[in-house]
Amino acid sequence: MAPGQKIKAKIKKNLPVRGPQAPTIKELMRWYCLNTNTHGCRRIVVSRGRLRRLLWILFTLTAVCLIFWQCALLVFSFYTVSVSIKVHFQKLDFPAVTICNINPYKYSAVRHLLAELEEDTRQTLKNLYGFSEMTPRRRREAESWGLAQEGRHPRFLNTIPLLLLETGEPGQAREFLTGRKRKVSGKVIHKAADVVQVHDSRKVVGFQLCSNDTSDCVLYNFSSGINAIQEWYKLHYMNIMAQVPQEKKINMSYSAEELLVTCSFDGMSCDARNFTLFHHPMYGNCYTFNSRQNETVSTSMGGSEYGLQVILNINEEEYNPFLVSSTGAKVIVHRQDEYPFIEDVGTEIETAMATSIGMHLTESFKLSEPYSQCTEDGSDVPVENIYKTAYSLQICLHSCFQMKMVEKCGCAQYSQPLPDKASYCNYQQHPNWMYCYYQLHQAFIREELGCQSVCQEACSFKEWALTTSLAQWPSAVSEDWLLSVLAWDQGQPMRKKLNKTDLAKLLIYYKDLNQKSIVESPANSIEMLLSNFGGQLGLWMSCSVVCIIEIIEVFFIDCFSIIARRRWQRAREWWARRTLPAPEATPRAGGQDNPTLDVDDDLPTFTSALRLPPALGAQVPGTPPPKYNTLHLDRSFSAQLKDTQLPPTEV
Amino acid sequence: MEVAVQGTCSPKEAGLGLGAGPPPLEEEEQHSEGLVELHASFQELFTFFCTNTTMHGAIRLVCSRRNRLKTTCWVLLFLGALGTLYWQFGVLFQQYWRYPVIMTMALRSQPRRSPSVTLCDMNPQRPAPVHHHLQALDEFAQENIRSLYTASVSVSQGVAAPSCLPGLEPGVPVDRRIRLLRLSHLGAPNRVGFRLCNSTGGDCFYRASASGWTAAREWYRLHYLSVLAQLPPTQQDPQNSRFIVSCHYDGQDCQAGPFQVSHHPIYGTCYTFSGILSTQQPPAVAHGLSLVLRTEQQKHLPLLATKAGAKVTVHQQDHSPFLEHHGFSVRPGTETSISIREDEVHRLGSPYGSCTQGGQDVDMPLLYNASYTMQACLVSCFQQLMVNRCSCGYYFYPLPAGAEYCSYSQHQGWDHCFFHLYRTPETHHHCAQHCPRPCRESIYKLSAAGTSRWPSSKSSNWIQAVLGEQHPSQDPKPRIGLAKVNIIYQELNYRIVDETPVYTIPQLLSAMGNLWGLWFGSSVLSVVELLELLLDAMALGLLLGCRRLHQLQDPSQGQPQGWPNHVRGVPASTLTILPGLRWPLQTPDNPT
Repeated sequence: MAPGQKIKAKIKKNLPVRGPQAPTIKELMRWYCLNTNTHGCRRIVVSRGRLRRLLWILFTLTAVCLIFWQCALLVFSFYTVSVSIKVHFQKLDFPAVTICNINPYKYSAVRHLLAELEEDTRQTLKNLYGFSEMTPRRRREAESWGLAQEGRHPRFLNTIPLLLLETGEPGQAREFLTGRKRKVSGKVIHKAADVVQVHDSRKVVGFQLCSNDTSDCVLYNFSSGINAIQEWYKLHYMNIMAQVPQEKKINMSYSAEELLVTCSFDGMSCDARNFTLFHHPMYGNCYTFNSRQNETVSTSMGGSEYGLQVILNINEEEYNPFLVSSTGAKVIVHRQDEYPFIEDVGTEIETAMATSIGMHLTESFKLSEPYSQCTEDGSDVPVENIYKTAYSLQICLHSCFQMKMVEKCGCAQYSQPLPDKASYCNYQQHPNWMYCYYQLHQAFIREELGCQSVCQEACSFKEWALTTSLAQWPSAVSEDWLLSVLAWDQGQPMRKKLNKTDLAKLLIYYKDLNQKSIVESPANSIEMLLSNFGGQLGLWMSCSVVCIIEIIEVFFIDCFSIIARRRWQRAREWWARRTLPAPEATPRAGGQDNPTLDVDDDLPTFTSALRLPPALGAQVPGTPPPKYNTLHLDRSFSAQLKDTQLPPTEV
Repeated sequence: MEVAVQGTCSPKEAGLGLGAGPPPLEEEEQHSEGLVELHASFQELFTFFCTNTTMHGAIRLVCSRRNRLKTTCWVLLFLGALGTLYWQFGVLFQQYWRYPVIMTMALRSQPRRSPSVTLCDMNPQRPAPVHHHLQALDEFAQENIRSLYTASVSVSQGVAAPSCLPGLEPGVPVDRRIRLLRLSHLGAPNRVGFRLCNSTGGDCFYRASASGWTAAREWYRLHYLSVLAQLPPTQQDPQNSRFIVSCHYDGQDCQAGPFQVSHHPIYGTCYTFSGILSTQQPPAVAHGLSLVLRTEQQKHLPLLATKAGAKVTVHQQDHSPFLEHHGFSVRPGTETSISIREDEVHRLGSPYGSCTQGGQDVDMPLLYNASYTMQACLVSCFQQLMVNRCSCGYYFYPLPAGAEYCSYSQHQGWDHCFFHLYRTPETHHHCAQHCPRPCRESIYKLSAAGTSRWPSSKSSNWIQAVLGEQHPSQDPKPRIGLAKVNIIYQELNYRIVDETPVYTIPQLLSAMGNLWGLWFGSSVLSVVELLELLLDAMALGLLLGCRRLHQLQDPSQGQPQGWPNHVRGVPASTLTILPGLRWPLQTPDNPT
């Protein structure tokens, strides 16, 4: 005999596999109820009285239902988070600080590009409001420009004319360049003008954007001329600047030395070399302090003495009068690998003021799937990051819009970075990009582009809460010497004094070195859930995992094998009846003394349990207890299946 | 089916169906079960219980019956475990009934209802119907200040010099007895204040302050409110909207958009924009609300309006704005960016704390025609108290039905009553108790995201021209009279602060089950077993007692020996049952 077979035989002998010994399901249930550790079941069997038994069945079933219900509640509340807020006190890394002048380019440098546009704008203002105020010097300048452009046709007003709309007759618009009435078709993007009677005498200014075939037009009108002119100017400005190469634009904007007059950090002097250039389409040259990731500076102390302190030269003389209407600078505090959204969330700084910005750092960590929908690094978001910086929801939304813009309009919007293989929109190449852009932007607001659903928030982010305070600077007594010293620092001759309104002082510092961390952590762990399950099972039925295994064994395996055995027996009987028309009757033997019943080699099972109340009948041994005459043990054992048979004893 | 009860003591008990006595021996052989069967004796009952109970420790009590010491030990252990269990239950329930909550914080970015923005021009108007009263008041004020600061201060800020001092007129709502005084006797030499008495002239006290300016303002305000109370309730004249010069929102014009105009006695005309701030766009100035405001100082009420600029507040759409609580000031001549940060707070109601869902269950009638806020409730509560105590309403707040505003002409000493009410802590305590916080509220935090000079010197010329064309009345100093405000969302996401209970019902039950399992190895079903035992014991005791009574009363009827026989016979039956029950517990001997 092969050793393998030997072992097999030995296993077969020592660990015999037998089927359930109960002949019927009813007996199996009775056996189970008497022997299980689960509370309630035993009572069903041992209770005397039908009502009592029924009540116990009801109690047990109720307990089972309660267990299921409560466990379901526990499972459904599993994915909850608890938030802990920790405050550390430590040496903090200073964030990157980006500073921009609100005016993008020195007006003297870009004027040759924008001369025609300025001329048109001034003419508009003159026609519309009778405004022609100019300083004599400027007038001379303008005249010289005007002479150079003698006889030229106002190009920009022809491309997109500014219209003067008379409220009351919305179909009529006067084109103020020619003065002729013009029929305006298309939908008017304007809240119903008759709601407020206050403005009834007001004239509305606007412009019209049409698609290629000019059949579909959208009229943009503004009740305030400031907005109309600024929007109109901005449109053309973006058109012009989109055609200027990047290097040229950088040269036209402010240099670091021009913008930053003095600089000190943590009590130490710093200069333009500590700042890196960042060119923004709408803000020109911006300078980022502490932008290099590998050489992060950190502050060891909180307080205004140990922060970044700069004096900025805003140089109001070089401001573009139509593009920007306010004077100052913009500052944004951000992570080093983050894109500074200067136009969106920047803090403005006023000139002739000292602005102190106190920072307080808050870090947030969220749990990703399945607790919430957030993304760790944006790699699982199907939107290309055109900013090439760390992921944020804002970057995703802007990228999404820019990609759609390239896809739908064929060109990229000027104020956002350029995706691969795309160019900025301008009128020469894309005559109706404006119309396309406005349509797309409306669709974006109405969430029709799907950007809002695709983009997810980032799981972890740092946030600097800023507290701004202002003080008048420089003071009246210190103004004189301060301005001349600063002018000397700038390398300008002493006689050309700096103007107070050209300067701004900025102080950025950590209020304290406390860092607040908001960390989400799972409120429930698997162990907690199991412990709670155990509690529920124990509370209602004093049940355990072993009980559950028992239930599976009895109710699924044993029941099915009993049913299968019964079927098999029937089939065999049926077959026997067919082959042997007159089968001999099996001798009917009595319960406990049935010789075929080998009780002794059974573990305490149903057979032994069935000996239960022999009661008074016990005086007559050998007589089957009448209660259990339903046991047709002979039947089951005479027709025993192979798998339930004992292996032949080899003794 | 119903087992005939031998010697039923009363028909009533038989009718209960519970009094099914011990089955006679001959019937037991028929195997017909009664609806409820009782045990024959207490011994049988307890033996049955001890052998069949699932409660741990009970078996031990029975098994070790022979050994007294062991039994005592087991009884002690049983009772000890029981005691510990109930002590632990006590601790658990004590914790649960304190209803502790944990705060959870979440960041969401779903779109939500956009807030309203209210702007006020800080220029209180001089209403025409009470113009002559105000004139009298101004003269009176001038006279007061002159008497106080003899020649040092000239108060001719747009107020005509007093021609003559009119006497005390009954219809004039200016109480000339309340004057500004120099209170040198109160210790500090420069204290200025005024004296307030109740309507009968008694119980006087001084409102004093170190600065004459504060005292004068407060004094003036009292009289001003008293004058305004003379106004008819519908005094709302359409204001000329010169305040909002331009309104621009998300690349579109919103000038003609609907805004509500209201008038505040201190903050002037207020304009409320509803539902134009989008909460779905990335935060950007271009996407925010951008307004150009005319913040010129009008010389209507020089003693009251000492500030120039505008007040801005952001609130939920259906809430009434409270500028005195959440106002944000805007300086003229600048472009101010205000960033909004939204926090949504969810509170758990009863029993975890007190909060109200929508305010329907608050017993304080809300005077504002808006949805419930705690602030509105507090104000309504104060006004109600004011009407009850002083029989008139404070002019700042809306009036309850049937009340009128306080005025010196009708309510002598209302100021005394008001300050008395205002200063007592019980008033505010009472109101705070009656006004719970709402269960759900959005808190908008406004912070300045910077200011810059506006308009710039290069662009101010054409901007002036454009505005000058629109408004024919030329401003002498338009640069100071203009301000630009940008209101943007600081972040796309908002914070939700949620309260969740520490113990939910499933968790409490689990903890109970754990304790039960640890100390006792029992379950709810075991308790039902115990209850069953108790009921059985009671029923059995009743039955046996009845029988004994019956027997004693009529000893001739039943055979005296029969009962002891029967009772004796039953333990025999239980004894025969017991081996059968214990059978499975014995280790079987293997035949092989």
